[in-house]
Amino acid sequence: MPITILPPKAFRDQPPRHSLNHDSDDVMSDATFDSEDSDSQPGGVSLDGGATIHPRKRHRSGAGAAASSTFTKRPKTNAAINSIPRSAIVTPGERITTDPQWMRGHGTYLSSASLGEQAITSSLAGIVTRTNKLLSVRPLRARYTPEVGDLVVGRIVEVQAKRWRVDVGSTQLAALPLSAINLPGGILRKRTETDELQIRTFFAEGDLVVAEVQQLFQDGGAVLHTRSLKYGKLRNGVFMAVSGTGGGGGVVRSRRQVWTLESANNGGPIDVILGVNGYVWISKHVEPVVPEEAKGQTGITNLEEVVSATMYSSQNDRIEPETMREIARIRGVVTALVENGLRVDEDMVTKGYNEAVELALVSADGPEDVYLGGERGEQLAAALTAV
Amino acid sequence: MASSQHVLLSPAELAYLHASLNLTPPIRPDGRSPTQFRPLVAETGILPGTNGSARICFADGTEAIVGVKAEVERTRTRHDFPSLDEGTEDDDDLDDNQNDVIKGDNDWVEMTVEIPGYRDDDAGTVFLSVMLSEALLADGEFTKRLWINQRFHWKLYLDILLISPPLSYPLPLLSLTTHLALLAARLPRLKSEGDEDPLFDDDWAAAPYLYPRPSEKGSKATAPAPAARPPVTLLVMAVGNNIIFDPSKEELAVADVALAVSVGESSSTTTSTTSSKPTAMDIDTEETKGHNLRLLSVRTIDPPSRLTPPGIPNASNSAYGANAGVKDTEKKKQQQEQARTAESEAVEGVWKAPRGGAKTLVMATMVQKVLEKGGVADEVLDALDGVDLN
Repeated sequence: MPITILPPKAFRDQPPRHSLNHDSDDVMSDATFDSEDSDSQPGGVSLDGGATIHPRKRHRSGAGAAASSTFTKRPKTNAAINSIPRSAIVTPGERITTDPQWMRGHGTYLSSASLGEQAITSSLAGIVTRTNKLLSVRPLRARYTPEVGDLVVGRIVEVQAKRWRVDVGSTQLAALPLSAINLPGGILRKRTETDELQIRTFFAEGDLVVAEVQQLFQDGGAVLHTRSLKYGKLRNGVFMAVSGTGGGGGVVRSRRQVWTLESANNGGPIDVILGVNGYVWISKHVEPVVPEEAKGQTGITNLEEVVSATMYSSQNDRIEPETMREIARIRGVVTALVENGLRVDEDMVTKGYNEAVELALVSADGPEDVYLGGERGEQLAAALTAV
Repeated sequence: MASSQHVLLSPAELAYLHASLNLTPPIRPDGRSPTQFRPLVAETGILPGTNGSARICFADGTEAIVGVKAEVERTRTRHDFPSLDEGTEDDDDLDDNQNDVIKGDNDWVEMTVEIPGYRDDDAGTVFLSVMLSEALLADGEFTKRLWINQRFHWKLYLDILLISPPLSYPLPLLSLTTHLALLAARLPRLKSEGDEDPLFDDDWAAAPYLYPRPSEKGSKATAPAPAARPPVTLLVMAVGNNIIFDPSKEELAVADVALAVSVGESSSTTTSTTSSKPTAMDIDTEETKGHNLRLLSVRTIDPPSRLTPPGIPNASNSAYGANAGVKDTEKKKQQQEQARTAESEAVEGVWKAPRGGAKTLVMATMVQKVLEKGGVADEVLDALDGVDLN
């Protein structure tokens, strides 16, 4: 069957979502939260919250309006007050509460309400979350906010005289100065005028780089560097962009962002780079090769020289179809994780990949079937969350 | 013709994608089989203020809605066409309709496409809307459905909106959504008779569908004449000899050829076809249980692959190798010469933009694959049948 058309999904069995156009002023006017409610919330990224990003949900105005009227008009003494939906969605400028007992957190600001009282107002479209007495709004979607030391995957979008501008999924383009790359030639050397003139031979528009955030500007712009053998131009693989830190599911900061995965079905080792910014690179693992010219010249013992020699190549090595198939499978795993609002890190990807290999064994097309979209992705996510 | 947006991909990525799609069978980045579409979620009747509406979204968040609105409009009488038939036919299948068609009433349908981030007079957007309306109006049958009487007709406004930014070339998505919206569209039942001012039934439940459907789902197979349906436009691309349906943005970026093939289903009574390819002819004469497909139009889409910069093979890369950066004019000259020769021949693992036209054999196979019995268009129409129309 080449095409699957699904009916729209009904709301998940969540507490009723807050109406966006309700007539009451405050989202939480009558709300008091009990501690046991917040205890039940999972730590870190909330999966419920991630799921609300899902595009296939549609607000049914009738149900929403009914729900809002039932809980905003409840008297304070009612025990049922505490059943305020945990994932009330607010929009920018929407008043969250005027109750002075709450403190404002990220994603909110104080605005003066009618009678001189201060109201906590949302500055984002997102989900209201609370930590004790702190109210904050977690955005539904967010751009990546760079931090020093982050490993990022970026795409060169602009070449300037002495630096490149790199798209890292942030609000601004990051800068990669010519002085912050390993220049070819084996030895660490200063940049010369020749290097400036042939800046495009290192990185040109469209090239993908893996780099580290070296410093931040006041306005949040990042400066990158690739002065390590781990960093540099990317080849032999596929790129995909998922949501980075900030939104619901997506790449989360973890201990290891780069690792080599031993793939099944004779795929060989495969490198996975999960940029903190949500850009992912999956490629064939290539052992550094000594170029012919280098072999003859000096007895190379220094690995650094060898690696830097191949650093700026844009020619792919020979990749076996088996490897390509497994790369596609890993890509499918990451997509399935994101679409089902799960976090993307080494643990989940490895588990998901093993699960996907198992799934493929029972599929009609055998282990060569790498498709993980639609129902199969949900199946995969269900298997991962069940463990 | 800027028919598809430019994508920025590195030469290494392009080379990898091209290599994987060129395998037999091709390995698509998302693991789909060559004829498989992305799974989609569809529903109809989402906009209460319209005559018919539909919404389709992909799992990646790409989403489109289409609304169909109709209003009654007075038919302008043409003075340059004196032989207007003043007959009293009420049914819309006789020759006074032929006059309607002849009068060029393609303006009875107004289609607008809106894509976020693009101006409405952007070449790409205009091209999309022309392609969609061309498919709809190609056989001239559609405008006949809008005829009320000699003096009045329905004016149909089709508003096609892409809600999300275009993550891939949105043609198939928009076409499928339009198809569903038209299937779900209903016009009020006419109460008046003849050429008097039209008067309509207030009861919306009694309103007939714009595309009348076979009475019962179960008896569909036995229905004598399958009802006509709005056209669907499918995006097909080829890499090497592999033919791939519903390409994603990355896949389209390495396509050798991309075609937009519009396919309609006609009621079996029609004998004449307006198909632009003779390959379709033998197919629509057969009368079996499948759909009665006919080719309405074929358009080539400019794949963005032709605008991509080529990759540099290692042999001519001055930043490659141990002696890169060393000032050696002799070596440099040699490299430049190598680069010149490398320009002309393909090196494995290095991206080179496709040159020259499409092979006719590949083009013919692409169209054939769409139209064959039990082929993609057949299955797509079957799947669209399954969508609940409310």
